[in-house]
Amino acid sequence: MTAFGNLFHSPETVIMIIIGVFLLYLGIGKGYEPLLLVPIGFGVILANSLGGEMGVVPSTDEIMHMSLLEVAKNYGIMNLLYYSLIKTGLLPPIIFMGVGALTDFGPMLRNLKLAFFGAAAQIGIFTVLLAAIAVGFTTKEAASLGIIGGADGPTAIYTTIKLAPHLLGPIAIAAYSYMALVPVIIPFVVRLTTNKKELKINMKEMDKLYPNKRPIKNLRAMKILFPMMMGGIVAVFVPSAVPLVGMLLFGNLVKEIGNPTERLYKAASGGILNTATIFLGLTVGATMTAEAFLNFKTIMIIVGGFVAFCFSVAGGIYAVKIFNLFSNKKINPLVGATGLSAVPMASRVANEIALKHDPSNHLLQYAMASNISGVIGSAVAAGVLISFLS
Amino acid sequence: MNEGFSIAFELLAVGMITVFTILALIVVFGNLLTTLVNKYIPETVVAKKVVQATTRGVIDPRKMAAIVSAVDIVTEGKAKVTSITKAE
Repeated sequence: MTAFGNLFHSPETVIMIIIGVFLLYLGIGKGYEPLLLVPIGFGVILANSLGGEMGVVPSTDEIMHMSLLEVAKNYGIMNLLYYSLIKTGLLPPIIFMGVGALTDFGPMLRNLKLAFFGAAAQIGIFTVLLAAIAVGFTTKEAASLGIIGGADGPTAIYTTIKLAPHLLGPIAIAAYSYMALVPVIIPFVVRLTTNKKELKINMKEMDKLYPNKRPIKNLRAMKILFPMMMGGIVAVFVPSAVPLVGMLLFGNLVKEIGNPTERLYKAASGGILNTATIFLGLTVGATMTAEAFLNFKTIMIIVGGFVAFCFSVAGGIYAVKIFNLFSNKKINPLVGATGLSAVPMASRVANEIALKHDPSNHLLQYAMASNISGVIGSAVAAGVLISFLS
Repeated sequence: MNEGFSIAFELLAVGMITVFTILALIVVFGNLLTTLVNKYIPETVVAKKVVQATTRGVIDPRKMAAIVSAVDIVTEGKAKVTSITKAE
């Protein structure tokens, strides 16, 4: 009747419940990514409530050949949610649609050249992939670990579902935890890789000295046409990234059209996004049973994820430094530091650092340009990994 | 392990080249699109209205509310908007 006997036989579940409570504390008490860490933390507690049948069971041939009704009957409702929403890869693109509806491509359009730093900041993904293979991960597992460096939760989850679903729990936790720690990680890497002179580069003064040769005369038309053009490019070159990028661009399009599609925009950025976030968080948390989580690989994922994050930030910064060697129009390295995703927190952090060194240096708009291109860059990197390895 | 490393190096090269290529294409086609839009659909009525409103020195109440709430959130209620002027 009660779970006391089960608890006695599986004491390690107590550790998992403590981890779940700790994640709840981070979300509620510290305010770190509460929209994700609260559902994930609660999912961990549910999954480890012995006898509750809320833990996600590893996929086997038997389960994969069951109907959803049989999955629900044999393994409970959490497995029904997991196998219908997560295992199929449905929720990350749905969340990307919502993210697209909340994204403004305006800063990127005004500073298109800065998009290159969003590409450079993907280096952490591929370097940590190499390191992960060196410490014993399989190629698919290493790719799932590396994608944490993209600093994009849905992308990390989508890639892991496709390549190493057994690592979904720890990778999702690492990805969202480090995204929450962006205000700590970016200043840390910036301190190690830049100097005060570089941080004082004033972007607006540079713009006055070297004005944009191609100012946009009709921003609304550009905002509607640009996502369609970008979607076309990604569809042709990296079709495997289309589920993520395509949905992101669709969400953005219904936002930019305005009144005619306002209801779709509100649904995508409100109800649908929130519903998807709840189910994503709970089911990802429910994959974290004691057997799946308490092992050496989890520790390596936590360490590797941090390294991937740092390398990505450093990659963007060094790309700016190289650019500055050859250009008269200098760019503040903080713009490169935001080349990883984590929109808009990375940009806000970069802006704050810039203001500390020069109170007139508001570089938020410039940081957002590379920050948004980082979202596209990490989705493309994920597409490359999936098409190569799955 | 060696096979894993060779795949990883291949992924490093292909992945970074692909990401740079895609974003380079986005920059190139984005600039092309800007040129075409500037040439064929340069201005909208909405943009003119905004110019008129700002030249009169009257700020749209919705924009005012958005700025005030943004400042309130970013500064956690510590700062207060007293006036808004357009930067040159």
